[in-house]
Amino acid sequence: MAQPAPLYIVASPRPRNGKTLIARLLLEFLRQSRRPAVGYDLNPREPALAERFPKLVWPVDIADTRGQMELFDRLLADPASTQLIDLGYGPFDQFFAVMGEIGFLPEARRRRIEPIVLFVADSSGATARSYAQLQRRLAATFVPIHNEHVMLMFDKEDFPPTRPEYGLIRIPRLSPLVRGVIDRPNFSFNAYMAKQAGGPTEVHQWIGNVYHEFREFELHLLMGKLSSSLGGATAPKRQSRRLR
Amino acid sequence: MAKPTVVVVGADKGGVGKTTVARTLLDYFTAHHLPTRAFDTESPRGTLRRFHPDISEIVDATSVSDQMRIFDTLSTTDASVTVIDVRAGLLSPMLRSLRDIGFLDAVKKGQLNFAVFHILGSSIASLNEIEETAAFAADGRYILVKNFINDTNFFEWDQATHASYFRKFKDAVEISVPKLNEMAFEQVELASVPFLTFVANKGPKGESANYSFVLRGYVRHWLSNVWSEYDRIKITDIVSSGGVASGPRVQVVGRS
Repeated sequence: MAQPAPLYIVASPRPRNGKTLIARLLLEFLRQSRRPAVGYDLNPREPALAERFPKLVWPVDIADTRGQMELFDRLLADPASTQLIDLGYGPFDQFFAVMGEIGFLPEARRRRIEPIVLFVADSSGATARSYAQLQRRLAATFVPIHNEHVMLMFDKEDFPPTRPEYGLIRIPRLSPLVRGVIDRPNFSFNAYMAKQAGGPTEVHQWIGNVYHEFREFELHLLMGKLSSSLGGATAPKRQSRRLR
Repeated sequence: MAKPTVVVVGADKGGVGKTTVARTLLDYFTAHHLPTRAFDTESPRGTLRRFHPDISEIVDATSVSDQMRIFDTLSTTDASVTVIDVRAGLLSPMLRSLRDIGFLDAVKKGQLNFAVFHILGSSIASLNEIEETAAFAADGRYILVKNFINDTNFFEWDQATHASYFRKFKDAVEISVPKLNEMAFEQVELASVPFLTFVANKGPKGESANYSFVLRGYVRHWLSNVWSEYDRIKITDIVSSGGVASGPRVQVVGRS
């Protein structure tokens, strides 16, 4: 039987902690592996992801019911694609409130869509509390993202994944040089990776590390599902390199 | 056989959501497998009948022949519950008629179950209506409904005024009907189906429909909250006293 199609929700209740960058990386990673992917940008004021990928990502404002229909009805109508949401901090609370109220999660599972919340952690206590509350409230898969640019040390006690073997996704710290390169308006991670005329650069290495994290995470996700479907034997734990 | 039950839904004021509440009751009884019929007194053009054509009839509550259609058939109909959606302004006259024809005496003798859902508006006038209406429901159940579906703010009801009125009617129970998302409400109106049918993504003839999942979700959540209120006041006990025992709590479910 085919595995459910993932619905990645890149989320955080706080601004400026790299959600859109992570969504960009993940979308390009999915495209590199030739999977049909579609994205939704829930940052109504600055839909940066939709501006970078106008043919792949739809800007949606869920402040009103029409926008909510545009998002949730479309998500359910497309169980064949891997879907991705860049959830801005503005609509963060409303998104999860609507999701709970309309009964989205059981319906998504019924249609073989697997919602996975990729929660960008930071050092604020409010963020950790928000993570714990969401985990209690919603029966989705939760995986923390440790963006080293935002928080150097990561306390795994504050952000436990839904299953221990999922670990966390680590986004290595960016040097100002790398940041300057990848922030260019037309920059594409995949196009850059395809060109290595002068040998691998720091940018290549950084992108490669992030893609490696995604690949490992997907593998552990798959192994977790397989082991639970086979009767609960757990998959090997991920080796997180920067755990305190 | 269970004792026949008559549920009257009304208010003296218009636009307070009487038909909406009647529709939620019909859905509730359907979900609890209680054979139900309904009378829509919005004669000649009924609103309730548009949503529940199979079980409802339009009647003129002021005509004796139509009153006979409702009350003379209580013991012969297959339906154990009769819901009457009373047109604005007719609640008090209808209750007077029920007294005059001996219906309320039959309730007093325990031959019939009787409940009045009095839908309240936001004004003090609504509180004044209670005094008159409650007297007729003394031997049945009197349920005061604060209906927020059309965004009513019960702004004129300061706590002291509210308490002074409600102290007088110890047997009255109060329930609240929350607001439903406007677009969801509008879509159910357009679909002209019961709320439960909308949640199940079906058309008027039971055919598959294509309603928005978001809107269905909002309706399911809202209906579930309304039903929780009905569970709280144990409506199934009212309608089945002397007959069938009430069943377990029924949840609003629906899949496309």
